[in-house]
Amino acid sequence: MTCDELRDMHELYSLGLLEREEKGEIDAHLVRGCDTCRKNLKDALAVNAILMSFSPDLAPPARVKRRLLASLGVKRAGWGWLGALAAACMLVLALWLGAEERRRASELADARHSLIEISVQRDRLQQAIGFLNDPETRPVSFGKGQPAPPRGTVLVNPRSGVLLIASNLPPLAAGRIYEMWVIPKGGTPRPAGLFHSDAAGTALHILSGPLDIGTLGVVAVTVEPESGSSAPTTTPVIAAPVAGL
Amino acid sequence: MIFLKFLPAGLAYAFLQVVLRFKEETELARRLKAREPEAMAELYDRYGRLTYSIIYRVVRNTAVAEDLVQETFLRVWNRVHSFDQQRGALGPWVLAVARNRAIDYLRSIDGRMSAGALELDRMENPALFSGFEDSALSIDRARQLKNAFEKLTPSQRTVIELAYFEGMSQTEMADRLKQPLGTVKTWVRSALKILRDELIEAATA
Ligand SMILES: [Zn+2]
Repeated sequence: MTCDELRDMHELYSLGLLEREEKGEIDAHLVRGCDTCRKNLKDALAVNAILMSFSPDLAPPARVKRRLLASLGVKRAGWGWLGALAAACMLVLALWLGAEERRRASELADARHSLIEISVQRDRLQQAIGFLNDPETRPVSFGKGQPAPPRGTVLVNPRSGVLLIASNLPPLAAGRIYEMWVIPKGGTPRPAGLFHSDAAGTALHILSGPLDIGTLGVVAVTVEPESGSSAPTTTPVIAAPVAGL
Repeated sequence: MIFLKFLPAGLAYAFLQVVLRFKEETELARRLKAREPEAMAELYDRYGRLTYSIIYRVVRNTAVAEDLVQETFLRVWNRVHSFDQQRGALGPWVLAVARNRAIDYLRSIDGRMSAGALELDRMENPALFSGFEDSALSIDRARQLKNAFEKLTPSQRTVIELAYFEGMSQTEMADRLKQPLGTVKTWVRSALKILRDELIEAATA
């Protein structure tokens, strides 16, 4: 068979579902180093991954991770009691971290969810994802349980700054803009950049740069004149307490 | 049929899990190959949830899904030495292992074992999951696929579902759906063609 005739079969091939003869045909092309079929197989594997990832989202219980890590601890050390001790320590640690970890994990998942709703440029999205994936990043959600006002997540990271993901932002009047503020504990608000929301009332805003998390109190957003202000002139539409993270 | 509920909620999360991460994973792959358990924790943080979602979708039993998630990650751990850390894509590999472990389980309880197990095993070879083009795993690609998927007819969706999440060959589908094999093959072929054409169209647009 020609590469073209095999084109429809790479997905089933890579799912292990082809009948013997068809499978043999593809194998033959791959074995003799057929570039077309190799590329088509890669494409099929990518399609498989994306299609499978459309599955309804479901969170596993935390014990799955604990058990996994515990089993690795033992296997890896392989020194009898020492390995077992390592596993036990890991389990205790996992239990201890559990609650906090769960809270963070679910907030980060929420943030990921809302990210996708927002139409932003690719590089900014990439930057935001990098932010979300950084273990140093601490999320704080705001507006939860309130139907109308802005909702979302503020994420702070000592190395990379502040990432704001917001939805339900009220539409702005002409000549107005949103301005973010970083407010130290007991200090005056520092301007942290201007942004617009999209038509759906969502926005993603990043303040890049190192941040002293220890002194941080609140991240807030106000509506300001289009050129921005050096101090807030209106009541915040968002105020996320970020102290003590 | 219950398995027709393709798509909805998982998409957003899925995008980010599979698509955007794979470029940043060289370091993670290196640490996995160096047998660092913390790297495994990180891998789990990235793909555990998606893995669980996919496995649950296949086996529809939480206890079994939990076990199979563990099996999936242990398998990855034990085979990562032959993964190409420079050009490999961890996500597609982990998901393939997860799906195959779940299908393997289904087959074992259905008594459908045999040669299939070996085949699945072969398709989890980490070496297969390298050398993807950037565009193959891009966020745009995921969007296009989702759009294309929505164009499929119910019959086309069904056969895709049966292939991916029930692990049925076309002969088995014909049996299950009480349709001639030729019809099933046409559905499968046309479904995959719609998905692929959408991608090609988008790539050349
Ligand atoms: Zn070929």
